Amino acid sequence: MWGSDLVAKRPEFFQVMKSPFDGTEVVCVKALVPDYAIVHVQEADIYGNCRILGPSYQDALLARAAKKTIVTTERIVGTYRMKEEPKLTAIPHFLVEAVVELPGGAKPGICYPEYQAVEWPKHKAYQKAVKEGQVPQYADSMLEGRL
Amino acid sequence: MYDKTMSLSQAADLIKDGMMLAIGGNGMHRTPSLFSLALTKKPLQELKVVGAAPGLASDMLFSTFQADTAYFGFFGLENEAGLAPGMRKAMEGAEPKAKAIEGS
Repeated sequence: MWGSDLVAKRPEFFQVMKSPFDGTEVVCVKALVPDYAIVHVQEADIYGNCRILGPSYQDALLARAAKKTIVTTERIVGTYRMKEEPKLTAIPHFLVEAVVELPGGAKPGICYPEYQAVEWPKHKAYQKAVKEGQVPQYADSMLEGRL
Repeated sequence: MYDKTMSLSQAADLIKDGMMLAIGGNGMHRTPSLFSLALTKKPLQELKVVGAAPGLASDMLFSTFQADTAYFGFFGLENEAGLAPGMRKAMEGAEPKAKAIEGS
């Protein structure tokens, strides 16, 4: 963080303190502790072990920072998938409270490799719904009775 | 290990007023948008949203004014999808309904 204006601009998040080990000055960052991380993945088993195919962004960190994680998944897979390649388990079961099988859960956005392009007509419908204050109605059309 | 599978509405019921939510994915990519849309059907308020680059699923909770604070580095949908319309609706104007805490 040295050299960043954030240290001076956000005292509620960044404070300079002396290291208890050798007395050098270090920047301390306040941790946010979310109540839930909510992530959409390609594969999860019924226990909450998750595999993320393609870029994982910060999802594994979010799951570790939060008190518990809610997972929506393109498909439920057998735990044998995790046993085949344990290192590919991005989020382990003990961080997870809920697993929802929800194919298309990232639409109208992208979920590699299941759907690799934005569904533009549905995204434009979202933009219009935002302007008109009709997002809950837009939700009805996207959820199609899956609640 | 035990079975944690449940319906979308059962999982959405776990979310309560004032909770801080770390929403995954990035921009238009792999964000839990249908879960957020399920939340827009509920009378939730004062949610806090956290992410390095919150995208579509986070934007939805601002579009309905259910989220009132975002902790983030960058908030947008990127590329052709452009700016985040719900976040702008909640944060712009003389009397914004949501607070942006950038660089947190």
